Amino acid sequence: MTPNAVSTGSRRSTPSRSDSGQSRRGFLASTAVAAAAVAGGAPLLAACGGGDTGGGKKDGTTTGKDAAKILPAFAASTVVAPDIAPKNGSAAGFTRAIPAAELKASVAAKKGKGGALTVMAPFWGPPPASDNPYYKAMNEAIGVRATWQNQDGNVYDQKLGAVLASSEIPDVVVVPGWNLGGKIPSAINAKFEDLGPYLSGDKVKAYPNLAAIPTDAWQRSIFGGKLRGLPMPASYVTNIAPFYRKDLFDAKGWQLPKSADEFLALAKEITSAKAKVWACGDMTWTAYNMFGVLPGNDKALGWHLLDGKLINRIETPEYLEALAWTRKLYDAGVVHPDEKTQNQGDTSLRFTAGQCLVYNNDLSHWYAKTSEQAAQNPAFAMAAMDIPGHAGGTPKLWATNPANIWAFVRRGSSKAVVEDALAIADFTAAPYGTKERMLTDYGVEGVHHTVKDGLPVKTDKGNQEVSSSWLFVASPAPYVAHPDTPDVTRAMIEWQQRMGAVTSKSSFYGMTISEPSQWTGLMNDFEQLEKDIVRGRKKVSDMQQAVSEWKTKGGDELRDWYRKLLDANGSAAS
Amino acid sequence: MSTLDTEAAEPAAQAPGVRTRRRAGNRDRKSDRHRSRTDGRVPLGRRLRRDRTLLLMTVPALVLVVVFNYVPILGNVVAFQDYDPYVSTNGITAMLESPWVGLAQFERVFADPWFWHAVENTFVLFLLQLVLFFPVPIALALLVNSVLRPRLRAVVQAVLYLPHFFSWVLVITVFQQILGGAGIIAQTLRQHGHEGFDLMTDPAVFKFLVTAEGIWKDAGWGVIVFLAALAAVNQDLYEAAAMDGAGRWRRMWHVTLPALRPVIALLLVLRVGDALTVGFEQLLLQRDAVGPGAAEVLDTFVWWTGLRSQDFSYAAAAGLIKGVVGLVLVLSANKVAHLMGEQGVYRK
Repeated sequence: MTPNAVSTGSRRSTPSRSDSGQSRRGFLASTAVAAAAVAGGAPLLAACGGGDTGGGKKDGTTTGKDAAKILPAFAASTVVAPDIAPKNGSAAGFTRAIPAAELKASVAAKKGKGGALTVMAPFWGPPPASDNPYYKAMNEAIGVRATWQNQDGNVYDQKLGAVLASSEIPDVVVVPGWNLGGKIPSAINAKFEDLGPYLSGDKVKAYPNLAAIPTDAWQRSIFGGKLRGLPMPASYVTNIAPFYRKDLFDAKGWQLPKSADEFLALAKEITSAKAKVWACGDMTWTAYNMFGVLPGNDKALGWHLLDGKLINRIETPEYLEALAWTRKLYDAGVVHPDEKTQNQGDTSLRFTAGQCLVYNNDLSHWYAKTSEQAAQNPAFAMAAMDIPGHAGGTPKLWATNPANIWAFVRRGSSKAVVEDALAIADFTAAPYGTKERMLTDYGVEGVHHTVKDGLPVKTDKGNQEVSSSWLFVASPAPYVAHPDTPDVTRAMIEWQQRMGAVTSKSSFYGMTISEPSQWTGLMNDFEQLEKDIVRGRKKVSDMQQAVSEWKTKGGDELRDWYRKLLDANGSAAS
Repeated sequence: MSTLDTEAAEPAAQAPGVRTRRRAGNRDRKSDRHRSRTDGRVPLGRRLRRDRTLLLMTVPALVLVVVFNYVPILGNVVAFQDYDPYVSTNGITAMLESPWVGLAQFERVFADPWFWHAVENTFVLFLLQLVLFFPVPIALALLVNSVLRPRLRAVVQAVLYLPHFFSWVLVITVFQQILGGAGIIAQTLRQHGHEGFDLMTDPAVFKFLVTAEGIWKDAGWGVIVFLAALAAVNQDLYEAAAMDGAGRWRRMWHVTLPALRPVIALLLVLRVGDALTVGFEQLLLQRDAVGPGAAEVLDTFVWWTGLRSQDFSYAAAAGLIKGVVGLVLVLSANKVAHLMGEQGVYRK
């Protein structure tokens, strides 16, 4: 599997998770690490930063009336009705392939003016040659001459920091939300163009596919008071799915756990170290969901107004309970031993090899792993279990961000360059059932894919060259389309819908918030502490200690700051 | 260790040439040459003309050193700033525009318990490596030296040198496959009804593990320097000693080891000067396996705060402290070597 292929799956397929993405991680883990997607426990990514250089606000957020002035008008796309309509915040599902002859054109004419521009984006796995037939075909169809600078996605944050500090910033730069640490947010405000003059209000109608991007996603693209980002929209339902080996569960007659205790009991039953079988990988992210912990992948999402008081996720009893429970799994020896090292191999490989039977990762793994194993191991079957509530019943889930990858245009770019970048975005944001989508996802027929029994199948060349990169410039409203595995597509959407039904939005949902710079490093050590605790190297009480230090070092002041923000902007909570 | 060796040899070799004195004088070419070897009193211009070929040949190396070693040193100014690389059009001009904060970053570093923790880990690892690692290449060199059959010796040397060429990623993966929780040994134990174990994620033994990995990978490579020194030992001494009735051990004690003494002293001085550098990649790769509590050393600390948290000024300050301490250490160790009558890193 090429990791980037993942992105043709759920729109939520952020190959994310910066955590300890250390320099060598890419070598250690298989290339599939890419897919190591998961925003769930991703660190403390400031959603934004200070720096008033863009003429926008130094910190805070932009919502309500101020936002209304700069947000693009919404005009839904009506190209193809989805087979499974979105509900409860889920993506839309498409289970049928649409024959080439019936594909519609969503971009009336070549929008590009033929200008040359450079695009830097993260890439997982070996990138294709820069002048490959797929890139050429895309350039030709859009009417631009884009040159791709693909960078190793595992260490993209370091590359990004250096490139933004240089005087050679590419014309278009893709920035994933999990790389918004440190001073990057202030760099975004300082180094990237305000797209408002091109897209605000009705101006977006020149780009119909961009107009069909949900307003939620645009709202998240306001940085420093200006509309700077071109979003990759995502479903706000949690993307972290606990997968299990359905084939082995069925054979042994194991029942899916309905509570935290049942999970632990089942895990003990499954584990047989002697036979090299362990029940699960690291389940911290799922534990947060089971216990209803506020999201940790975005600082602002971790705050919530509860009974008139603003609380942070780290102050909640659920947070400590989730950590304590995960620690129990490690203590009981049901977690694969290599999980403790965090960088030895890829959990999903142990899963497909049958060495661990439950793991959690981005929902897109459902399709990626299923199709990968179809040829190698026909008996292989996996599924995502419904996240159990910790005490039984349904869990209380929290919404994640409706967009977490953006493309930005370099500040000071000429009008022609901005318009060419928007031409790319309008093309790659084309919905399912269009010629543009087909070319973006499957490349050229006969070269990158062939049509077999009415289904497009990627060739080896297709797997090599047709990559996610173009999607990062902009994507359509969240959807899942895997006509080759309609059952998996349906199951993915339905899982999202069931989980979406028990999902609430925390107070700052959908806002991109710039914390004042003196507090941006306040939570830097927490992710490490979480890892130390669940692995038994630190005690839960160490966390309580860290939280009380956090309060005195600025946490309480930060609370007041967020409170003022909430009073001024109103809440998105539902 | 071989690179250390050449680095060390250079200053010593250059020392006489560096002392250039301008002296008027009109001597013929021949005596010039003669005198320059004895006291170096030759006009600079004349010497430049004479040595121009040699000087030209050093230019590329000189340029590399200046560009990649000396110019970046200027970047240390950010340690005295609140550096934000994004305030200006590029990171260099941003240095001119970032506000100066004096020693505030250093105060932050000294007040940070994590910094002191990294210092402690660094020193413990250094001591362990000094005691457990340093003698190994010497012992191995003596062993190899005692193997007389050339073919066998070549094989032994090849086997010893090979691990040096493996990357750390590979070394750690191999260790993980053998000593890890699901490794060969643990699984074999389990299959025979015993408890498994996991050495790779145990913070308590981590420093020994790191040292063991280092020995496995680099001890063989370290042998080269000592073998070279051993090759230079006058064989007559052995014969004479044998004639006087000295056995194998006495010959080793009274002939071989004294011959190695200057090299051992030199490498020891260099090692002490490098005390704060205990291996970056190796530790970074295993930091997650045992947590920063056991694995954070100064280099990973600087990397983590600088590159990951983008607190550049803070990391630069920590790195500068490390550099200054390292300089003090190497100078003191050299002093001690001189007091003991050894040559050390450079001649006095």
